Amino acid sequence: MNKKLLGFIPFLIFIFLCVFLYQGLFGNPRELQTGRIGQTMPSFVLPDLMDESKQWRDTDLKGDVYLLNVWGTWCPTCIAELGYLTELREHGVRIIGLYYEQAYDPDFGDQFDINALRNEVQNMLDRAGNPYQFNILDLDRTLALDLGVSGAPETFLVDANGTILLHHTGDINPRVWRAKFAPVMQELSE
Amino acid sequence: MRILTLLFLSILSFSAYSAQDEYEFANAERAATFKALTQELRCPKCQNQNIADSDAIVAKDLRDKVLMLVNEGKSKQEVIDYMIDRYGYFVHYQPPVTPATIVLWVLPVLIVIIGFGFIVFRQKKASKKQKWNAQDEEKLAQLIKQYQRQEHNS
Repeated sequence: MNKKLLGFIPFLIFIFLCVFLYQGLFGNPRELQTGRIGQTMPSFVLPDLMDESKQWRDTDLKGDVYLLNVWGTWCPTCIAELGYLTELREHGVRIIGLYYEQAYDPDFGDQFDINALRNEVQNMLDRAGNPYQFNILDLDRTLALDLGVSGAPETFLVDANGTILLHHTGDINPRVWRAKFAPVMQELSE
Repeated sequence: MRILTLLFLSILSFSAYSAQDEYEFANAERAATFKALTQELRCPKCQNQNIADSDAIVAKDLRDKVLMLVNEGKSKQEVIDYMIDRYGYFVHYQPPVTPATIVLWVLPVLIVIIGFGFIVFRQKKASKKQKWNAQDEEKLAQLIKQYQRQEHNS
């Protein structure tokens, strides 16, 4: 009896390994990056994308729950999610854009044309929908680095006190919204 | 032949020069810290590359930030903490000991202990199985005596 039981152990280990490795196939390795959750929004002073005379500070954003959406016109997924984000805006979600410019790099002496970028952004938003209250231009990606942004699109859910509650990597679609954002928004509105 | 050697040497020295020219440091210690950090920090975008290796834009930003912090005189651990603060434990190739990762340290030790335990247990069981009584003892003594006599005779 005892020996039979012992004989089963390698089989059990094998089954355990199979289950462990199988579920690993469906894990999303990008969901691990959550450095800033539970902390307050890092302080910043950055210009508005459309009007450089306007400066935004972290303190300007406080007072309301908002989504900070990191995006760029160079990023196809960001453009794909504009439509759904616009829908969310129509349902009263406050969305602020953080423009992530990837072509700009002073080390390579790139010619950066802010007017061309503004035109491009305006065209894009006219075509695909404009979910943003306003856009913050993070040309040197300093705020992006402080937030632990690795690319675009990424979205943060920030409460009225400026505490970061969620950090989502990838696009926002109805499924992600229902599973991840809606429960937290529900809790905040209660 | 001599000209060829000269040409070869000049090419060599040129490439050596351009390779070390990329970043500037106040002292060799900072250069070493920077090199170690860019190899230990993991690119959050290209997940199986370190930031020295990756061409992703975020890897370049992280390299620039590491360079800045190192040139400010920050220690290696301070830079690592700075990055973990933003990108999570994920960004460092050496995971810290936490309740979630403790299994990485405990499991190998546990397997060795269990393995040795199993060997000892089996040996004890095997030795118990052998029945050895006075009769066997007598037979053994007899056999020894017999062979000893044979040796004496020969």
